[in-house]
Amino acid sequence: MVLVAPRPIVRHAPRGAGAGAGGEVLALLRDGGGTRPRFDPGLAGGLTAWLEDAAFEAVAARGDGAGPLVLGPRRLLGSTGGPGGPSEGDDGMPSDELVLSRVVHALFRQLVDVGTLDDPLDDGLEALRAEGEQSGEVVRHIEALTGPARAALSDAVSLHAEHLLALVPRLASGWLPRTDDRVSVPLAGGRIVLQGVFDLLIGVPAAGQASLCAMAVSTGGPWPKERRSLHYLALLETLRSGAPPFRLALLESASGRYGVEDVREEHLVAMASHVAAWLGGGGGRESRGASG
Amino acid sequence: MRVAVRVAETLTEVLLAPARPVDEVAWSSALTEARRVLARVAVRRSGAGTFRVTDHQLRVALSHGGGPAEEEPFAWSARTARRSLGLAAVRALAVGVARSPADAVRARVAESSELVRDGNPAVSGLDRWLAGLAPAGRAAVGAAAVTWSTRLWCALDWDAFAVAPVIGRDRWWDSPDSALLALRGRAEVRSDAGNLVVLSGPRRDSVRAELALVTLVEALRPGHGGVPGRVVGWWPDSGRVVRVEAEPALLTLGAEAVSLVVAGTGTPARAAA
Repeated sequence: MVLVAPRPIVRHAPRGAGAGAGGEVLALLRDGGGTRPRFDPGLAGGLTAWLEDAAFEAVAARGDGAGPLVLGPRRLLGSTGGPGGPSEGDDGMPSDELVLSRVVHALFRQLVDVGTLDDPLDDGLEALRAEGEQSGEVVRHIEALTGPARAALSDAVSLHAEHLLALVPRLASGWLPRTDDRVSVPLAGGRIVLQGVFDLLIGVPAAGQASLCAMAVSTGGPWPKERRSLHYLALLETLRSGAPPFRLALLESASGRYGVEDVREEHLVAMASHVAAWLGGGGGRESRGASG
Repeated sequence: MRVAVRVAETLTEVLLAPARPVDEVAWSSALTEARRVLARVAVRRSGAGTFRVTDHQLRVALSHGGGPAEEEPFAWSARTARRSLGLAAVRALAVGVARSPADAVRARVAESSELVRDGNPAVSGLDRWLAGLAPAGRAAVGAAAVTWSTRLWCALDWDAFAVAPVIGRDRWWDSPDSALLALRGRAEVRSDAGNLVVLSGPRRDSVRAELALVTLVEALRPGHGGVPGRVVGWWPDSGRVVRVEAEPALLTLGAEAVSLVVAGTGTPARAAA
């Protein structure tokens, strides 16, 4: 089981990387792109078997009456602002972090799709309105803000938007950029479901090769956790298609920091080990029908 | 020039694999019985409203175990618009008038604005909704459609089809016994060998009945001769595939499912096996 990957290229730009950062992100994503890494075709099957074993253990521990357990990076890894996304507040209403994250991610999708922004908060709000009831709570929350609170949110969104404008590269449509690509991997006959959402996938799927790049936007979670969320998504893609993305980029919209790294087999194995341990430990037993 | 797409070969192979031989006498008998079951359904519920049975209705009803479930009224959103826009994009890609899903979706969204602006009589509710959105809203809708169409476009080897497939044409069967009953067969890609249905949501017991509806509508349509191709359900989220071969039992399952949904009992006599 060997994932043949190019050299590790984890790099972090200094805080507040300005114009041109997007170009460097793109250059890092494309570096060595002419030769896509091949990987052991047994890798995905081995990881699946490992997680299936753990899932059946968890299902047995939870009992026959328990509903499907839907698990995302927030639940499994405790991530807050990035690929896993922040959660609701204690009162069940959208937290400030959630609202900010949803608006910033909408802006990210707009930048990928059309490459420009107008008024960041207005654009984000219009995008969320177009999502309908899926984003209804967040839209209503923003619309109900007082003038000063809305101005504060607008300032915060503008800061994130400024960094995104610098960080998000212009992607040729021929690279097939697609945003919000949901992955959902059923285990134990669907009684455990691992799910996550790629903020952005780039590239043409190819049988037997790791041919995709993935990009995530973090609005404020601790960097190591957000990075692990991307490793989790890489694991899900491996389980879904048989091959992981070959390279990952993480953009931190609050600071303008970013990093790009190759996916290596040890990332996938470490994440599978973590998920298996979570399922085999208390997590799987205590969670009934929860998601996140 | 079309974007060169290296594809996941397995889904194409599943879709286009040679069909299994079917006992034509048994098939014909099952089709006759299915017509009889559906005729009874129409007669029994005539006057109670129009039953337009779709895979979605069937899924909701069977999941709830009790007939057509109460649902939120339909509203356009990025989620509900992505399939229509995405299919238009894949059609444009398949005939080579667009180079990428993003270009194709952009053209389709722009077309909506033009149709509405020009007062074109062909304008649809989707066109009007899209044209009424702010640019950022249209971008959000377009982004969702790009993702939807990219997944479908990359999932198949389009050059493997001997005859260009039909992309995204729903087919209806109107009951000859009652104007109140109509069935819809939804498939995103249709070829002689098979029909591909894009699925969402979790894997569920009702999925075989949902796909049986596609076979049933194909078989019932006037002028359709012989046994239709297989139906392949595909979940892009998970990459999982479920295949149902055309066989007499599938017609029975589909007719029973429709009958039970319309009757409001919601539990098919033969659950998805």
